[in-house]
Amino acid sequence: MATAVKRKTIYEEQREQGVTRREFLKVATAITMALGLKLKMVPTVVHAMETRPRLPVIWMDFQSCSGPTESFIRSYQPNMQKVLFDMIALEYNGALMAGSGTAAEEHILKIMNEYPGEYILAAEGSLPLLPGALTIAGRPAEETFREVAAKAKAVVAMGSCATWGGIPAAKPNPTLAKAVTDFVPPGVPFIRIPGCPPIGEVMTNTLAHIVIFGTLPEVDELARPKAYYRHRLHDKCQRRPFFDAGLYAETFNDEGARQGYCLYKLGCRGPTTYNACAELRWNGGLSWPIQSGHPCIGCAAPNFWDEAPFYARVVQLPGTQTTINPERVGAVMTGAVAAGIAVHAAATVITKGRITKKKTDVKAQEDIEIGQ
Amino acid sequence: MAEPTGIGVQTPLGETGKIRRRDPIYQAVEPGTVKVYVWEFPVRVWHWVNALSIFVLFVTGVYIGNPFVHAASSGEADAFLMGWVRIVHFITAFIFTLGWVFRLYWVFFGNRYTREHPFRRRFWSGMWETVKYYLFLPNRKPHYVGHNPLAMLSYWLFGVMSLIVILTGFFLFFEPQLDTVFGRLVSWMFLVFGDSFSIRSWHHIFAWLIILFVIVHVYMSVRDDLVERSGTISSMITGYKTAKRAHLIEAEEDTAGERKTLDVG
Ligand code: HEM
Ligand code: SF4
Ligand code: SF4
Repeated sequence: MATAVKRKTIYEEQREQGVTRREFLKVATAITMALGLKLKMVPTVVHAMETRPRLPVIWMDFQSCSGPTESFIRSYQPNMQKVLFDMIALEYNGALMAGSGTAAEEHILKIMNEYPGEYILAAEGSLPLLPGALTIAGRPAEETFREVAAKAKAVVAMGSCATWGGIPAAKPNPTLAKAVTDFVPPGVPFIRIPGCPPIGEVMTNTLAHIVIFGTLPEVDELARPKAYYRHRLHDKCQRRPFFDAGLYAETFNDEGARQGYCLYKLGCRGPTTYNACAELRWNGGLSWPIQSGHPCIGCAAPNFWDEAPFYARVVQLPGTQTTINPERVGAVMTGAVAAGIAVHAAATVITKGRITKKKTDVKAQEDIEIGQ
Repeated sequence: MAEPTGIGVQTPLGETGKIRRRDPIYQAVEPGTVKVYVWEFPVRVWHWVNALSIFVLFVTGVYIGNPFVHAASSGEADAFLMGWVRIVHFITAFIFTLGWVFRLYWVFFGNRYTREHPFRRRFWSGMWETVKYYLFLPNRKPHYVGHNPLAMLSYWLFGVMSLIVILTGFFLFFEPQLDTVFGRLVSWMFLVFGDSFSIRSWHHIFAWLIILFVIVHVYMSVRDDLVERSGTISSMITGYKTAKRAHLIEAEEDTAGERKTLDVG
């Protein structure tokens, strides 16, 4: 464990474990490729690994199902051991570590004191505003989070609960859950890795990026790394030609579903979801939901849980958690307006005599006034 | 449509005795009745281009949101039905947007009726009387030659709805490349309208609100035409409305906010 005064570099640790220079270069090259960097960046990656120590990571679970952790340890590229043990030092993770109780909590303090401003706080799950809803080691989780975040180099929010509030924050939100990013102390940078769970490679690659470049990756307006959240699934989807053609599966069992038609009418959220599923795919690139015939449910999008039903095209009334079928509601409202018009028109006909009379009065008056 | 000039055309005179630029042109038809040139040619063209584009945008938009017809299926993605519908939607969207840009520009050059606005006290008192009029209550609604205040307000609301649809529409349009120059012009909308799903929802909901506006607007115009005999409907084609001389004076007072002598035959 990297607790020595002068910390060993990643390369030094590798050599101590008997890795040859040649093997080390292979790994560095593989990591460069996995991060989507150009081949000529290999020397940069090698240099980083030769000069930088492993990145201490404290991984904390709050209101979460541990999905991101589960997904993280199933990363294939760069494979889990390479990143986990070569590039980062996962100092604390409730689901994975052997230690527990006071020893585990004290270890957090130790990391905070030894590496202030150097460690990454990876946070998973949302934080509740309801007092007493979540305590860890007897302390309100929110308090612990703020304390650990305050000294972190950066906070990486892992998964849709940490990034947007997610399922704990879904209607009716009994614990008043909010995204951990809402609790990050001012001045501490953070990024969002949404997904329910996020793709393992997206999490590991983001950490690897921080190790190699010493900075957070480039992010978009919503603080998501552009490399993985730049595009909508809809723009990278293998079923897109069927969308443009106007060929859609209507049910999960019809001919269209068998032919691999677009899943738009089955409620596919690909047009509003930013994630890397279509490019990186899942389980080491094996497949992804839309490839295997299931519409995207928008798991990486804010509030996806409240945008139900998943299998229909709906719109959400702004500022509410209510979704409607716009065409059905629109037709009903058109009917209501038409009925109102009919009533008003009838009233116009009935009262016409009276109004005309009144007008003539006014006119006579006016004519007198202007002296005619 | 030729601009009405020459013999038989008279205009109200300002205090200085000169024709004021924003004043509309009047034409006496018979004793006691005048024709007023209310909608200038560019305004009329805009009106119908706008109407047509809203119709096209609505039909194509509803298809995009809810494809109600499928392409003939050969099992291959060789048709381009949704593709064409989207292209038509986008081209019409540009026409619709440019129409609005032009209409706002015309505010600076058109006659008085092109730039009525609700930032006057008179507007709101007139509005109150107009509402009473439409609720069949006793009222002192003056006669308006251009829009009545209620109609005016509805057009302003229509403007706001159009703006929302245009903004969110251009977001959806550039959404596939948010990382480009054009993408950066629209990506701030995340912070105003919410995430992609919300922006799409705004677009779809306001599309329907615009259609509801259109329905009410058509009813009101037909009704005004029949009840007031003002030629409202033909006015959007010819530009002229007919008015009783006395009513015109009343309207003039209300619009200009001052009593003045009219020399209208
Ligand atoms: C009166 C004006 C308009 C109406 C009634 C209208 C209607 C609609 C509707 C109902 C949708 C479907 C939304 C959904 O998927 O739920 C849509 C989509 C869209 N509209 Fe409009 N729209 C209008 C103006 C515009 C404008 C000005 C633009 C600007 C470029 C625009 C661009 C788009 C785009 C890009 C889409 C998404 C297409 C796609 O998903 O492939 N629209 N519109
Ligand atoms: S399946 Fe979904 S993401 Fe793919 S083209 Fe159809 S709507 Fe878009
Ligand atoms: S396809 Fe959609 S719902 Fe499925 S994992 Fe990807 S983003 Fe989440």
